[in-house]
Amino acid sequence: MSNMAIIAENLTRRYGYRVALREVTLGFSEKGIHGLFGSNGAGKTTLMRVISTLLRPHGGSISVMGFDPQEEPEEVKKRIGLVGDKPLLYEELTGVENLKFYSKLFGLSSTFFVSQVENLAQWFGIKSWLEEPVKNLSTGLKKRLDIVRSLIHDPQLLLLDEPFSGLDKDTTEDFWEYLNGCRNLRTTIITTHNLALGAALCDEYVTLRKGIVISQGPISDFDQTL
Amino acid sequence: MTSGLGAALAIAKKDILSQFRKKFEIFSMFLFALIAVLAFSFAVVTGGSVSEEIGSALLWVIIFFTGMFGFAPIFLSESETGTLRGLATAPIPAWSVYLGKVIYGFLLMGVVEIFLIPIVTVLFGFSLLNDIPLAITTFLVGTLDLAAVGSMASALTMPSESKATVFPLVYFPTATSGLMLLIEITKIIVLGPGLIPVLLIFEILLAHMIAMLTLSASVFHFALSP
Repeated sequence: MSNMAIIAENLTRRYGYRVALREVTLGFSEKGIHGLFGSNGAGKTTLMRVISTLLRPHGGSISVMGFDPQEEPEEVKKRIGLVGDKPLLYEELTGVENLKFYSKLFGLSSTFFVSQVENLAQWFGIKSWLEEPVKNLSTGLKKRLDIVRSLIHDPQLLLLDEPFSGLDKDTTEDFWEYLNGCRNLRTTIITTHNLALGAALCDEYVTLRKGIVISQGPISDFDQTL
Repeated sequence: MTSGLGAALAIAKKDILSQFRKKFEIFSMFLFALIAVLAFSFAVVTGGSVSEEIGSALLWVIIFFTGMFGFAPIFLSESETGTLRGLATAPIPAWSVYLGKVIYGFLLMGVVEIFLIPIVTVLFGFSLLNDIPLAITTFLVGTLDLAAVGSMASALTMPSESKATVFPLVYFPTATSGLMLLIEITKIIVLGPGLIPVLLIFEILLAHMIAMLTLSASVFHFALSP
């Protein structure tokens, strides 16, 4: 079990009386790209939020990169990068100011920060936009900058909640290529309701329906008709 | 990993930079404070001055309500834009997020007070120069107290659907006890020293501020990860 990135056992999370996750038991191995599939309201985002310490579970247990998010949240947080539906960027600040701010929170050295910005901005094609206030950037550029933000501290676990929604073709291809290139370097978990895209990219999958795991395993076993 | 205090300062710096560029909250605060001072000066100033009791009360009531314009959006704007998740998933202690916001609120209110207090003393015809060190210390501690309460009220308001209504419901009762002490101390400063044991009241104010800061900081992780 030591090579598991995520282990959840009987994980339950409610919003009031509504159960979003009902005794979810699943595991994602370290490294590779793993898909969390399901339609709207299946519990994908709730599970991502529990993994990223944003929500506390109401029952069961979870281990993220070997740490309990409730007991050692800071150990989990420094190992994860999160891209959600909204970019976690400050509109009034420039791209580089946003990245510097997050690098301070993660305690990155200035040498590491400069090399990371250099590499990531080059890869995602935003180098010439870094001095521009975020409010002046297009939706696609904001998404690219947000992806760079999530990777700035070189996380071991990348959590991508519907990462391709709202992305243009070029950004999707760049991001896809990047994720493929890092497949053996870090663990990536993607939520998507685009099953064809998920099946083409992922190594393992878990399908949720109404907060319950209905199937999981290697992507070769995945049945899109479920 | 960065220290809690370092993270708090980075958050405060980021907020000040954002505020300096958009200027929305500070403009609202100045506008409200100026209108309130002018309205009160027309209504209660007779013969070029008001009584010390009324003047001291009006000064702090104006500061108290002006604070609402600055404190309410402290967490609400982060919650609405989604950037709060960026702070919540950074490997920093939850109290540092709260402390960063308190520092920002304190500086924001401080800037307004630097302009407001001279205008009030001129228009209301009273002087705070009887005990300058006590006056400065009172305004520093009082503003920090209001910022501590206002920041926590803003955080507690985040999950609410009618935020504009809920913020005053939290801010008013928690800040009122500090407000009364501030009015009392300011009245003594204006009347002149030696009339009432001012040190005792000041100690209660200091205890109130420390209690608000430590209590809010110690439970703040519940606001970040519900």
